[in-house]
Amino acid sequence: MTSMIEIHNLKKSFGNLDVLRKVNFSVAPGEVVAVIGPSGSGKSTMLRSLIHLEEVTGGSIRIQGEALVEDGKYATPAKIKSITSRMGMVFQHFNLFPHLTVQDNLELAPKTVKKENAAEIRRRSEELLAKVGLADKANAYPANLSGGQKQRVAIARALMMKPEILLFDEPTSALDPELTGEVLRVIKQLAEENMTMIIVTHEMNFARDVADRVIFMDNGEIAEEGTPEQIFGNPQLERTKSFLSRVEIMG
Amino acid sequence: MSLDYISSIMQPLLQGAETTIITFLIVILLSLPLGFLITLMAKSRVKPLAWIAHTYIYVMRGTPLMLQLLFFCFGLPLLPVIGQYLVIDRFVAACIGFVLNYAAYFAEIFRGGLLSIDKGQYEASQVLGLSRWQTMSKVIIPQMIRVALPAVANESITLVKDTALLYAVAVPELLHYAQTAVNRDFTIAPFVVAGVIYLLMTLVLTLFFKALEKRFKFE
Ligand SMILES: Nc1ncnc2c1ncn2[C@@H]1O[C@H](COP(=O)(O)OP(=O)(O)OP(=O)(O)O)[C@@H](O)[C@H]1O
Ligand SMILES: [Mg+2]
Repeated sequence: MTSMIEIHNLKKSFGNLDVLRKVNFSVAPGEVVAVIGPSGSGKSTMLRSLIHLEEVTGGSIRIQGEALVEDGKYATPAKIKSITSRMGMVFQHFNLFPHLTVQDNLELAPKTVKKENAAEIRRRSEELLAKVGLADKANAYPANLSGGQKQRVAIARALMMKPEILLFDEPTSALDPELTGEVLRVIKQLAEENMTMIIVTHEMNFARDVADRVIFMDNGEIAEEGTPEQIFGNPQLERTKSFLSRVEIMG
Repeated sequence: MSLDYISSIMQPLLQGAETTIITFLIVILLSLPLGFLITLMAKSRVKPLAWIAHTYIYVMRGTPLMLQLLFFCFGLPLLPVIGQYLVIDRFVAACIGFVLNYAAYFAEIFRGGLLSIDKGQYEASQVLGLSRWQTMSKVIIPQMIRVALPAVANESITLVKDTALLYAVAVPELLHYAQTAVNRDFTIAPFVVAGVIYLLMTLVLTLFFKALEKRFKFE
């Protein structure tokens, strides 16, 4: 079976700062991968490269077998667009459109990009809002939502485009602790529905609970990866151990 | 200051007010889009374009509006060689001056509005598959308008009052007719009436922009 995502020798530098140095991994269909690691280790950069928010300096990214970038050479703009359209992304700071109601936030992209029939779009936005528990907020503006509600809207908005892969960059880091649960529950439900996901997170308990595989990034490379049991229960490297003990003390 | 006297000067004053309003509308309707165009130029990745836009803004904001009006009304025809083709109607010339001047101010306002928009808005639009143009028109510009609205309202009110500069280039407008009546009748009443008419115009504008700001509140 082809991998959903395959990255090979991925390199990225900002000026002379090497942020990613030879990152390799692949994600199978339906797999949930949690990415953990210290601040500045390149987690966001790696995730953002997958959906072309960053241009890498070298290496390859293949999405469902199709090359977004091959040996540092990018596909044509049309091809890039078609490949990245199979992915959705959820940001730490939600990035909802503040000038649109919740419903319009969900419907803007399908209406302008997919040009689907309006009734079908409406049916799906209602269904997804119900799914994230916000059916009653359809006409609210983002300014009037709590952080947890905003992030659930952002997830529903990403799902409107029917992505085959969802990328999360610290989806709960901007939330008050008591609001993280409602967001994590939605992500967990997506995992149960076999959505392929990569989740950068500082929530170790959540990673343990929901991930099929955990990747520990350090200093621009994948230092260690394995099942949650392996990484949390029996980490091999000293730096993995020290990172885990640091976050455990903090959290 | 009898009512009879006031109604006798009303007709010319209102005629002047008409010129004021027409000038205002022409200038607003042309300078807002032109200003936005200049903002886009200033943000352009084509360096010469950006440089031209910045220089333009700098020159228009750095010299007196009165100088610019005199330049377009009386200066252009004096240019060597091409000057003879630049003898245009003073009202038109003045409008061009106003439009070019106000476009520079609006460009700065819009530029500030764009700067205030978080880059996350562009990123969210991109990952949802919106094109550059769709991102601008559906996501960025509506938010820019909200940010720019109070400053645009301010400039618009200033413009109402700046139309009185037409007086200096001898285009008869509200102030001109008031001044004429004052000179002729030796009474201050026409100035007072003109002042009230200006206040009414700015009041209407203020209410209009208040209503717009409400519509663009997004809450
Ligand atoms: N646009 C940029 N220009 C220059 N340096 C950058 C840029 N973006 C990221 N970096 C640098 O790249 C490194 C990796 O950043 P990245 O955001 O990927 O880390 P991260 O693992 O996501 O960290 P965090 O846990 O704090 O989010 C950091 O040293 C950061 O300062
Ligand atoms: Mg990060």
